[in-house]
Amino acid sequence: MSEEQEGQVPNSQPNPENSQNAQQSQNTQNPQWQQNPQGYQHFNQPNPGNPFPPYGGGFGGMQMALPNATITLVLGILSIVTCCCFYGIIGVVLGVVALILSRKDKENYLANMNYYTVSSYKNLNAGRVCAIIGLILSAIIVLLCIVFAIFFGFSTLTDEEAIKQMLQELQ
Amino acid sequence: MKGIPVVFFLLLIGEGSGLIHWLENHLLSCPFKTWTGIDCPGCGLQRSLVALLKGDVWMSFKFYPATLPILALFIFTILHLKFDFKNGAFLIKLMYIFATVIIVTSYIYKIYHHQLF
Repeated sequence: MSEEQEGQVPNSQPNPENSQNAQQSQNTQNPQWQQNPQGYQHFNQPNPGNPFPPYGGGFGGMQMALPNATITLVLGILSIVTCCCFYGIIGVVLGVVALILSRKDKENYLANMNYYTVSSYKNLNAGRVCAIIGLILSAIIVLLCIVFAIFFGFSTLTDEEAIKQMLQELQ
Repeated sequence: MKGIPVVFFLLLIGEGSGLIHWLENHLLSCPFKTWTGIDCPGCGLQRSLVALLKGDVWMSFKFYPATLPILALFIFTILHLKFDFKNGAFLIKLMYIFATVIIVTSYIYKIYHHQLF
């Protein structure tokens, strides 16, 4: 205790404030702050000349949401619901659009992280995952339809009885 | 813009039976089903929704088991976009995967038990 007092804290007050000051000086590593303990105790910033807080990015700490995060999330979720409509084509379109929209935003976020909010980035990632899953599902359905049509022809596809017969033969 | 859900809700309560009747007779037909006669993985969703509007949860589950998870996912997503929960994005991912698994499983079950027609 006495060593700390000698080494880092210039004003010697024999109460718990001292240990607090010692902690602060460890945090900031700037002994000049200790001379004014009442004013800037809460303000442990490395360089006092910087007007912006370290987490805040450029415009005085204002962070924007990524512009396409919400759209990506909504499209990704819709892609699973519509994966079965019209032979899966709508699901594929929605998934691809969501992925394209999200790619640019992801690059933006990784380029300058301080400008955008973390929550919107999380939303964007969730949207990406949803879009990928929906895209895979609807792509499988589209492929199945195409394979079906190639192997058995459209005439079979449009005829209910023929399909029933074919499925029974398959089993 | 804020009034739309309220108006829809009032409609639902005010002439609920009429709306359900109208919905029952105006279901969109799935092109896959009309062409081939075979259920697609999404078939049953509308019937299931109508059953849910009637208050019959079990019938809704029988028509399409993934209706409730999908609805929950929708509502949670809207709430998350509005209020920005802490782990909301992660929960959305989980619910989405859950719904997907249910859809695929139920379709395989349908194929296996010959309920496609």
